[in-house]
Amino acid sequence: MTKQPPAKAIPERFIVRPATLWFDRFMNYFITVGGLSIIIAVSLIFVFILLQVLPLFRGAQVEPQDSFSVPQDDYVVMGTDEWAELPFFVNRRGELTFLDTVDPGGPHHRTAFTRAPAWLDETDVGVVVYNPLLSQLVYGTADGRFAILDVQYEATFPERGGREVSVELQETPLLSIGSTEVPVQHLAYGSSGTQAIVVVIQQVNERFEMHAVSLVQQRTLLGDGQWSVSQSYDLSEHLDAAPRHLLVPSDADAVLIGMDDGRVLFLHFDGQEFRKRQMFVPFRDRADRAIASMNFLLGDVSLVFTASCGANRIFSLYRDPQREVRVWGHTKTFPDLERGASFYSAAMRNKAFLIGDGRAASLRYGTTESIRWQDELPFSVSLAAIGPRYDRMLFLDDGHTLHSYRLDDPHPQASWRTFFGRIQYEGQAAPEFAWQSTGGRDDFERKLSLIPLIIGTLKGTFYAMIFALPIALLAAIYTSQFLRPGIKRFVKPVMEIMASLPSVVLGFLAALWLAPIISNAVPSVLLAVIAIVVAALVVGYLWGLLPQRIRVRLKPGYEFLAFVPVLLLVGYAGWQLGFVVERTFFIVPGESTGMQIADFRLWFPQATGLSFEQRNAFVVGFVMGFAVIPIIFTITEDALSNVPEAFRSGSLALGASRWQTAIRIVLPTASAGIFSAIMIGLGRAVGETMIVVMATGNTPVTEFNPFTGMRTLSANIAVELPEAPYLGTLYRTLFLGALVLFLMTFLVNTIAEILRQRLREKYRAVE
Amino acid sequence: MNDKRDSTFAASRGSGEIRQKRVQVGQRQKQTGNDAHARYIQVRDHSFFYGTTQVLYDLNMDIPERHVTALIGPSGCGKSTLLRNFNRMNDLIDGISHRGDILIDGRSIYDPYLEVISLRKRIGMVFQKSNPFPKSIYENIVYSLRVAGRNRRAELDETVERSLRAAALWDEVKDRLRETAFSLSGGQMQRLCIARAIANRPEILLMDEPCSALDPVATGKIEDLIHQLKEEYTIIIVTHNMQQAARVSDRTAFLYMGRLIEYNDTEKIFTNPTEEQTEAYVSGRFG
Repeated sequence: MTKQPPAKAIPERFIVRPATLWFDRFMNYFITVGGLSIIIAVSLIFVFILLQVLPLFRGAQVEPQDSFSVPQDDYVVMGTDEWAELPFFVNRRGELTFLDTVDPGGPHHRTAFTRAPAWLDETDVGVVVYNPLLSQLVYGTADGRFAILDVQYEATFPERGGREVSVELQETPLLSIGSTEVPVQHLAYGSSGTQAIVVVIQQVNERFEMHAVSLVQQRTLLGDGQWSVSQSYDLSEHLDAAPRHLLVPSDADAVLIGMDDGRVLFLHFDGQEFRKRQMFVPFRDRADRAIASMNFLLGDVSLVFTASCGANRIFSLYRDPQREVRVWGHTKTFPDLERGASFYSAAMRNKAFLIGDGRAASLRYGTTESIRWQDELPFSVSLAAIGPRYDRMLFLDDGHTLHSYRLDDPHPQASWRTFFGRIQYEGQAAPEFAWQSTGGRDDFERKLSLIPLIIGTLKGTFYAMIFALPIALLAAIYTSQFLRPGIKRFVKPVMEIMASLPSVVLGFLAALWLAPIISNAVPSVLLAVIAIVVAALVVGYLWGLLPQRIRVRLKPGYEFLAFVPVLLLVGYAGWQLGFVVERTFFIVPGESTGMQIADFRLWFPQATGLSFEQRNAFVVGFVMGFAVIPIIFTITEDALSNVPEAFRSGSLALGASRWQTAIRIVLPTASAGIFSAIMIGLGRAVGETMIVVMATGNTPVTEFNPFTGMRTLSANIAVELPEAPYLGTLYRTLFLGALVLFLMTFLVNTIAEILRQRLREKYRAVE
Repeated sequence: MNDKRDSTFAASRGSGEIRQKRVQVGQRQKQTGNDAHARYIQVRDHSFFYGTTQVLYDLNMDIPERHVTALIGPSGCGKSTLLRNFNRMNDLIDGISHRGDILIDGRSIYDPYLEVISLRKRIGMVFQKSNPFPKSIYENIVYSLRVAGRNRRAELDETVERSLRAAALWDEVKDRLRETAFSLSGGQMQRLCIARAIANRPEILLMDEPCSALDPVATGKIEDLIHQLKEEYTIIIVTHNMQQAARVSDRTAFLYMGRLIEYNDTEKIFTNPTEEQTEAYVSGRFG
């Protein structure tokens, strides 16, 4: 090393204070940490939403939990209480065996106990069916009578904790039905509370007879009384083949008979009489049409069929557009089972069903055609049941052991198809995108397609943007390029104040004030808009034709003084003309009076077949436009004003007009900024919630008709989150909606940013 | 002073030639004396106000055709304002007003029957900082034709070549006319702006300190260019650079505090000014 000259002491005035250095370093870290934590926070929000959503796409988890031995017998029916703590089994003789699965050998020593209806000494049982929703057993006797047995479970919650389930049986007396002294072979029962029917099929001398009775319940002041037969029907004439399956829906308005030859007969009961409505063959296209099983799904408007060959289909009731009545139609197809089902159980909370044969068991979901769980069991199943809480599956094997399986499937309906695919829901004639998360009944089939919401979001954004974009961009160009700076200093802050208007105020105005006005005067609004645009062009053209002597009286930048009154007048004229046009062209005959009514609101649906709602996309576009205009305007105006003055002067000095300068030089140069402005406006419109919630009917429609409302993803979250149980399917679906919204804006922003960078590179001004 | 000029100028080529030309022009000017050529642009009692602030006081000057007239003076003396008044670029500013008149070829530029746009087509302008548009070299030059609605390809091509040749830029850029103008160097850009300004064949060329941001080599090229251009154009140039004014101009006007102090042949101004203030300024004692 070379020899260093001795270092001189640094004079104090050159020394940096340690505090300065420290602060500098601290701020350096502080800003870095701050920036990073913002990125992390945004990522965490994304991760959080993702974590909320992911469980939706998990399959069902099933694991064996317990097994109990059941007294040896030949059981035909299995039922259970809500917690599957005290299941029961009915044998061929009609006796019930209850099995205590919680406390076997406990203080009550009631591992298994048997009950039977009192009339069992009188007669033998021909058939017994169980309705798990009503918790009712219906017996058909060997002597042509029937009786209903209520299995009333009761849970008590003793103070020492836990739960005690007890059961009580309540039986009706035997009532006659059909031919006496002939055993009942098939029986079905349905009760809607006000109407009940029982249908039985008997075989009398090789001939099948079908009888039905309608029941009425005596209601007294003391409560519900006894059921008694109000009318009997002989339906034997409808039986032209051997019946194999018999069902009555809980509404008690129909009878379904599955025949030996694969046909299904649908008789409709209108409260007075039975009429044949439909005959269909579920497996028409299969070699073996025989129906192995036929059961209702929750709600009794869908039938789950299996063919002997193992094919598995669902038929649902829907309104036939031609016949104007509800008929059954093929809606869902599942993967084949190995053979026709020998056991079946429908879930009592959703549209899932447990089906299988022998060792093969499969848990399937009706709405989505999906298999939630499927397995080869280590035993052969004779009876199966899904726990009423959809948290358990019970299998009784042929060796008389009851196997209890834990079922963990919190979101059985969730699947890609549910959220993004077309599904033919119960009651619908064709597959469609639909959102309807709640209904009036427990057995309501949830419709959770996000497509209508995405379409609604796009629709709202679209109408807001076609209103806001031209106005905001033209206004910004005008303000920055044509208006006198003195007036501009006043215009811009006013527009910025507009941006600070709370959207709830705008939504309020839109819903309560603007929507009625616009819906009363649609032609006027449209005409006024058209008139103003046309007038602006015409006046501009005429102005150019005026002799210069007159034109020079208006200084450049003050042209609006001449323009605005003309436009206002023309706008008013267009508004008034709208009423004339409505009276002249939009005439429909009144529905009740037959008189001619001039009303666009009535004319539009009649002329186009689309509907007209008062709170529609038109209004939303208008008002959301108002929320978006100031944003786009302000940023665009900034971008235009930031174009170096040298470009403008250069262009003007070359003899370009102000308009040519604006369009050819300023606009392209500011294009990156304008693009950002549009994207930020778009982002605002996509995410805007309050205006949409208030000013639309929030109907999740999938059409771009400007005169209907819509439901956007954001509005959907706002409207439904209070209704969504924590961590439930709907709750997570709303988060999925949020994720979709997030991804939509993320995608749009990313594309926009890439394009913006390109534009900026292209029109970069040299410094 | 001459030495100093020459030393600055040594970098550029053909300085002798230029000096010769100026002598010739000087002669021509003497011949044409007092006729219309000498009074091509007439400034008559011209005052100018930004709001209530007066920046020009009763200016009177005649600017000869096809000569270079330099406007010199300390910052804020109003020389740029005057320059920008010739093509009414100051109209863009709020609250301006004027008194007196400016006549070009005998016609007032404030005539209400005169379109400002046509006035500006007649008067090209080159700015202090080169300001090519964010477009290709080609599109920069044909801009004035395009805004006039002239889009014939042959005419555009012809104009590009002619203008670039006139701006002594053709050989340097002829192979990259479609590239963005921002790919040029600072001096090239300024010459592009000159080519753009003369594309529409104006009669007058206004130059607002065209070389203030350029290095000596580029400055030399532009000054050469000015010498060539004055064969065809009437050039008015604002400059802070005394040597430049002396080198390129035939006539020089010295403005101070908004007043025209002295206006005469350049040689006279720089060698034997009448006014004390001019003397002080050109010799560098103030300003």
